[in-house]
Amino acid sequence: MSAESQVKGGSQKPSVLMPAPTAWPFAMAMGTALVFTGLLTDVSVSILGAILSISGAIGWFRQVLPHEQHEALPVEAPAPVPMTVHPKREVMRLPAAKEVQRAWLPLKIYPVTAGVKGGLAGGVAMAIFAVIYGVFAYHSVWYPINLLAGSLYAPSATPTIEDMRHFNIGWLLFATAMHLTMCLLVGLLYGAMLPLLPRRPIVLGGIIGPLLWTGLLYHIIGYVNPILDDRINWWWFAVSQAAFGIVAGLVVERHHRVWTAENMPLALRAGIEAPGLIEEREHGDKK
Amino acid sequence: MAEAQPIVPPLVIPQEREGSRPFVQVLHDWIVTVDHKRLGIMYFSYGILALVIGGIEASIMRAQLAVANNNLVSPEVFNQLFTMHGTTMIFFAAMPIVFGIANYLTPLMIGARDMAFPRLNAWGFWMTAFGGIILYFSFVGGFGLYGAGSAPDVGWFAYAPLTSPAFSVGHSTDYWTIGLLISGFGSIATGLNIMTTVLCMRGPGMKLNRMPMLVWLNSVMAFLILVAIGPLTAAQLMLLIDRFLGGHFFDTQAGGSAVIWMHFFWIFGHPEVYILVLPAFGILSEVIPVFSRKPIFGYNIMVAATVAIGFISLSVWAHHMFTVGMTSYANAFFVASTSAIAVPTGIKIFNWVGTMWGGKITFTTAMLFSVAAVAQMLIAGLTGIMLAAAPFDWQLGNSYFVIAHFHYVILGVIVFGVFSAAYYWYPKVTGRMMSETLGKWHFWLFLIGFHMTFDFMHIPGLLGMPRRIYTYEASRGWQTWNTIVSIGVIFQALAVLIWVFNATKSYFRGKIAGSDPWDAWTLEWSTSSPPPDYNFAELPVVRSRRPLWDLKHPEDPDWKYE
Repeated sequence: MSAESQVKGGSQKPSVLMPAPTAWPFAMAMGTALVFTGLLTDVSVSILGAILSISGAIGWFRQVLPHEQHEALPVEAPAPVPMTVHPKREVMRLPAAKEVQRAWLPLKIYPVTAGVKGGLAGGVAMAIFAVIYGVFAYHSVWYPINLLAGSLYAPSATPTIEDMRHFNIGWLLFATAMHLTMCLLVGLLYGAMLPLLPRRPIVLGGIIGPLLWTGLLYHIIGYVNPILDDRINWWWFAVSQAAFGIVAGLVVERHHRVWTAENMPLALRAGIEAPGLIEEREHGDKK
Repeated sequence: MAEAQPIVPPLVIPQEREGSRPFVQVLHDWIVTVDHKRLGIMYFSYGILALVIGGIEASIMRAQLAVANNNLVSPEVFNQLFTMHGTTMIFFAAMPIVFGIANYLTPLMIGARDMAFPRLNAWGFWMTAFGGIILYFSFVGGFGLYGAGSAPDVGWFAYAPLTSPAFSVGHSTDYWTIGLLISGFGSIATGLNIMTTVLCMRGPGMKLNRMPMLVWLNSVMAFLILVAIGPLTAAQLMLLIDRFLGGHFFDTQAGGSAVIWMHFFWIFGHPEVYILVLPAFGILSEVIPVFSRKPIFGYNIMVAATVAIGFISLSVWAHHMFTVGMTSYANAFFVASTSAIAVPTGIKIFNWVGTMWGGKITFTTAMLFSVAAVAQMLIAGLTGIMLAAAPFDWQLGNSYFVIAHFHYVILGVIVFGVFSAAYYWYPKVTGRMMSETLGKWHFWLFLIGFHMTFDFMHIPGLLGMPRRIYTYEASRGWQTWNTIVSIGVIFQALAVLIWVFNATKSYFRGKIAGSDPWDAWTLEWSTSSPPPDYNFAELPVVRSRRPLWDLKHPEDPDWKYE
């Protein structure tokens, strides 16, 4: 380890002890490399490598045992080189961050519950549109539900349209679980994302976002769920996605925003009273 | 820039330029050095040399593939070129470069005078260096005793049974094995050193939660080195036993398993991607805040995401093996784990954007490279998620789509990050500023070349062009895309030449940098440029994540807010 101690003697210049340079690590590395190279060339190369390697190891040990070898480097008088420090500059700030020196943006976010509620409400809206599509196109409310459960089907047992028009408890449970999970996750994402979207969050998050998502799915769904890809009506899909986005966005937006706790200590955020865990601050300083 | 004000009297030793001493003495000093800064420069320079060599190999390959039915090089030479290109770029360019940056900056950033094990540090560098020399000696020594073979030609991941004595006659594969084995020992030494330095050598007040992001990311990189290099070393030793002592570890004819080699290689190989990309993330996390004039957004979650990436990256390796024929359960697990790693990576991207948002951004060359790297990381991540879906991977595994994806990571993020670091820390290392005008030329040419090459490389992959193909017929419809891809290489090569010229010219004639030319906040900028051998005459006391901000702004220090 490098020495941390500083030697400062009387009239002598102050100095710092640092590890002394040495060639032994180089010698040992070269020796090790030659030992292996001998396997590919000639045994004499390995023997030379072994000698070099052992010499390097011994030399290295003698560098650090019984005492590590150091050199004392003098600390010269400071040269008049100024540290380039610039006065604090005024920077353009977002209106939200006017009052704050260190802006953790966004300053306010929606609570997690807003995302959950938004996701559930959006899920209902999406389901309504999907069911309307099922009724109009296939005269069955079960068709879109069974279609969503399409990833369960084995390729060899692809159900017919007639099968998909009828109630199936397994498919219903799977589709419901899948729909709920996705809606909750996307709802949470909305809760997190909407405060970040500029100007018209509902337009961006509720319409443009779902349309982009639809476009992405249009291209990849064939790999993930070929049955869904075969039978899906993409216009209706886009409409139900937009319905989800708008409803979820509106529900999320109805909630009051709360201050972000991003830069607060974990104990404080968890509501734990833990005196001593949080460093005391100078009198009058506030977070 | 506003007028400079001296605040802290730095303690410095006037730096002596190397040119004023005899060459032999200079050479001797560099060979025997145990100073982390010199070793960092040696690692970095060695990596750049390898980058140029690997780049030349890539350029020859692109010239061969630029048009259909080409025979610029022979198929045998082409096999050697892609093997040496991949091996060189990963093991002898990218790794030494990130090790060099970690070596140079870690002690300076945590307020230490050197690495924990300075001699081991030197040994690690020389092992890496000799590993590369052994690999390239294969061009002249690869014929070995049997008069067959030359440079290795088994691909950079050297799948069995191609590496068995029956299919790889002579010693070319052995040079590959031994070169990587030797450099692997060096890498383990470096990983151990970085980890110990961070844990044991931090200066006064430098708590773990005050460490600069680059140090955090280097720590996780060091952890991954310690975990991941071991399996590769073990596999290399087993391969040597197979080839020299008649072992059967990977010999399928005698009860061995070729698939075991794949597992060994990729349990190293995928964490290796993160060994390389995490330091690049660290660079972005240092550069973006300074040039946005804002602290990093979400430090805690950034650290948590880093640690999460470290752990998850150890459980994703078999996504390289979807086409092998694993069980559906194994496929499902590796699809899920690979997809999961997008979450902490996505958090990082959001936080870099969050750091820039509302800040006053200055587009220096370093910042340009960092911003481009963030955008390219997003694209690389998206194609990564596509390939993480096993059915998608079955279609496009081993195609040029995969090549385009991982070059997007390696070049688009890691190399862009390294260039950003080169512009950002060059003044600290040399005491001189690089030319921003030449820097901008470098950036835009490299950006154009990169996107010409690697955006368009996805398309022949989607059209079915397999990787490692020597040539192709015109009727395939791949030629136009390949020509564009190859033209992009010219732009990149030109950009790199401008960078080398800029660095060389600036070393002699660049503007004097001063200790802190960017008005930055981490400790390396508190000492002179270049730093004295002992880094700090008095170890600085740290009270926040931005110690220099505290020093410069006593009226509004960060420690009040953390």
